[in-house]
Amino acid sequence: MKALLILFFTAIAVLFAGLSKNRKTLQTIALAGSILALLATGIDLMLGDTTGLNEHYATMFRFDQYALAFSAVVLIGTVLILGLSGWGFRALTDTLGDNYGLILFSLCGALCMFSFTNMVMLFLGIEILSIPMYVMAGSRRDEPESNEAALKYFLMGAFATGFLLFGIALVYGATASFDMQVIARAIAEGKHSLGMLHMGILLMLVGLSFKVSAVPFHFWAPDVYTGSPNLVTAFMSTVVKTAGFAALYRLFSSAFVDAIDFWGITVAAIAALTMTLANVTALFQTNFKRMMAYSSISHAGYLLLAVLAIGQAGSAGAMLLYTLSYSIATICAFAVYILVAEQNNNASLDAFNGLSKREPFLAAVMVISMLSLAGIPPTAGFFGKYFLFTAAFERYPWLIGLAVINSAISIYYYFKVIIAMYFVRDEASPVVVTPVGFKWVVAGGLVLIALLTLAPGSVYGLI
Amino acid sequence: MSLLLLLIPLIAAGFVLVARPSNGRQIALLFTLANLALTAYVVMAFQSGGGEALAFRTPWVPNAGISFSLSLDGISLLLVVLTNLLAPIIVLSSFGRTYEHENRYYGMVLMMLGALNGVFMAEDGLLFYVFYELALIPIYFICAIWGGQDRIRVTLKFFIYTFIGSLFMLMSLIYVYLQTGDPLAGNDVIRHSFLWRDLVAVPLSPSTAWWVMLGFFVAFAVKMPIFPFHTWQPDTYTTAPTGGTMLLSGIMLKMGVYGVIRWMVPLAPEAMHTLVPTFMTLAVVGIVYASIIAVKQSDFKRLIAYSSIAHVGLIAAGVFAWNKTGVQGSLIQMFNHGINVVGLFFVADLIERRLGTRSLADMGGIAKSAPRLATLFMIIMLGAVAVPLTNGFPGEFLLLNGIWNYNAWMGAVAGLTIIFGAVYMLRAYGLAMFGEPNEATAQFADLDTRELTILGVLAFLVLVLGFFPQTILGLTDQSVNAILGAVQI
Repeated sequence: MKALLILFFTAIAVLFAGLSKNRKTLQTIALAGSILALLATGIDLMLGDTTGLNEHYATMFRFDQYALAFSAVVLIGTVLILGLSGWGFRALTDTLGDNYGLILFSLCGALCMFSFTNMVMLFLGIEILSIPMYVMAGSRRDEPESNEAALKYFLMGAFATGFLLFGIALVYGATASFDMQVIARAIAEGKHSLGMLHMGILLMLVGLSFKVSAVPFHFWAPDVYTGSPNLVTAFMSTVVKTAGFAALYRLFSSAFVDAIDFWGITVAAIAALTMTLANVTALFQTNFKRMMAYSSISHAGYLLLAVLAIGQAGSAGAMLLYTLSYSIATICAFAVYILVAEQNNNASLDAFNGLSKREPFLAAVMVISMLSLAGIPPTAGFFGKYFLFTAAFERYPWLIGLAVINSAISIYYYFKVIIAMYFVRDEASPVVVTPVGFKWVVAGGLVLIALLTLAPGSVYGLI
Repeated sequence: MSLLLLLIPLIAAGFVLVARPSNGRQIALLFTLANLALTAYVVMAFQSGGGEALAFRTPWVPNAGISFSLSLDGISLLLVVLTNLLAPIIVLSSFGRTYEHENRYYGMVLMMLGALNGVFMAEDGLLFYVFYELALIPIYFICAIWGGQDRIRVTLKFFIYTFIGSLFMLMSLIYVYLQTGDPLAGNDVIRHSFLWRDLVAVPLSPSTAWWVMLGFFVAFAVKMPIFPFHTWQPDTYTTAPTGGTMLLSGIMLKMGVYGVIRWMVPLAPEAMHTLVPTFMTLAVVGIVYASIIAVKQSDFKRLIAYSSIAHVGLIAAGVFAWNKTGVQGSLIQMFNHGINVVGLFFVADLIERRLGTRSLADMGGIAKSAPRLATLFMIIMLGAVAVPLTNGFPGEFLLLNGIWNYNAWMGAVAGLTIIFGAVYMLRAYGLAMFGEPNEATAQFADLDTRELTILGVLAFLVLVLGFFPQTILGLTDQSVNAILGAVQI
């Protein structure tokens, strides 16, 4: 709650400060606001303090341990991305203040998605998160790809919203409430029209699948990810994805948990399709961002395992650890990519050829990020995967088998980057100048990955 | 103490990789020697009865029952000794080559050694898995950066093969882990545990044990490798730089055998009766198959690679027999195979460096110009052939005895390895060392001091362990009894 207020007022401050067009000032304000929000969240999380402001809007949202923990994840992601934004947003001039404002506003939406106790709040949260993202995707107004991405994202997003809203309406029709607890009670007591409820759950699942880009509702993702400005893509594939999953998990674990026999198999099928299709398609990509888009879709498949494991001990903790390690690794990878691709004007995987010779540090960062994304021990990504797989193992052993095979497939494309950087000889290595902000961010990311490796339990056991 | 064995190489690796000192190779050698000294101390402490005092245990992920537990029994200790004994030899033998980005090379070797020590000491299932994989990353980089022709394709195949194999092992581990603890306890308490003794205590039905054992088997069979999971091995051994090949063949394949002894059989003994005949057959077929191919090889390095498949097949068969002689034989042979194969690859490397070829047809008559090499090579080669009074003999004798006790026919077929081994080794030795020297081999320079040290130490070990096999058998005796006793088949 404190974080939400801090972010909201910082966003407004940044909008006004945008008039000055001073890059340094804008970045500092945005960064200071998010760090402050992160600190407030961290302190609440440590103290286990979930009362206080919560009482004011008790029927709308509740910042419990779960909401605080995921707020911390997206805030860490945002702080890292804002750290990159000094150089990363250098192409933006008159809209820079708006951009910072939009990032922070969409973060407010994410926080609502973690803490809602009412489906209206869920819907509002998703919209507050999404609408700034549509604008951000198109923030390079001079580039046709960016415009295309914004339009596609907006149309698909609007479509998904329609499904979601229809689903909410049907669930309301079946249970006569928007409140999660009331819905859960109604389902448990069986006092509802079964067909309408099931249709409602399915439609909400479809709507949220669009948001988290799960197959078969993922078509927008590769184009939008590729066309958006690099830093915005990093934001989308980490913060937005985390928000989507945390909301999905919260919704299904608190309201629909008793209908698990109905939606379980559907979600399992979506998960199986998502990881398989995305991993196989990623094998054939030559453009780094497109590859990362499919990689992010495949991670959506793994994350659905957490939803399937609802009710098992540690499923929420597993998702928390997974989203955190995934976000950090993705942002670090994007940081290196932005430097290499934008300075050499080459978005393909070839841009990395021989990078280890001239930039050993950046190459090492990339290796650790890729190993973490592939889930290879002892990186943080492995522990995320391990806990997810263990949580869902008892209920869906066959799905875990498939997930394991998919993890093996994913090595092939993640290692393409490593091979290009380290093993390809006789190529002129790319010229890279590293701005200070990038150094801080990737170093911070590495420290976080190392900490997660040494003590994964501290995050896993948090919720 | 066990923690120190693990940390010394890892810290050294971090230092060499990050600080990039100008004399990385000397630092690497220094640290491996330090670790060897520590190992010697640990062996003495162990023999004076302090096995339990060497252990290190601390919770890692307490709320999931995962702990950072290292401990040493005779079996672990033997392999830790092997690792740390070969470490300085491998580092020193890499001095002969100049590598681009040398610090990275030695850093990777050190990291690998740390991980290997971890594998052999881990007492927690997940920790074992983590180290098992951690060992894979540096060796992948070593082979793919400093390897020979076609290294990128070959090493990626190697990596994916072994990684898929170990993922199956992870599934088996998770399955057994989920069966630990009290099934009636609620979800809120920590009820599962990854500790070895808790995993071993889990009773499995024969059909689930079948799956669990198969998962482990795939991982370990790929690592060793056992026929038909061996297809990555000859290519990888041949393209890898010699230091990498030594790590792979001398130590890393022992991870697989060790895994079978420590984890596979104890965790799923219920499936022994149904699966082991198949495993045994595969191992024995592999022995004969690899031996026949080795006889035909003209590439010296490839020949050693195939001989290694044959030897490890015999070792694995001895373990699968799961009787005292078989397991003891496999342990002693693991140690000795490590010494022999490292020696053979070192000889192959030094000949390749001097002549620029690995083809046996281009060698010949080296003994005339390099008598010291010829002598030491002869001793190591005889060890590999398992001539009595060399180190290969007691192990092979025990192994064949153990396999014979399990099934006489298997023992008879596996016994062919002695004949084949003599054929391909003596053939290779004859082709390389005797005959008429050609232009290149006539000027073959004999061993320099560094090479003499390495081969001298190895040849010395071959003879000493041939005379006194009891030193190894005594070290592992109690632990083998304990593990055989703990597993009810």
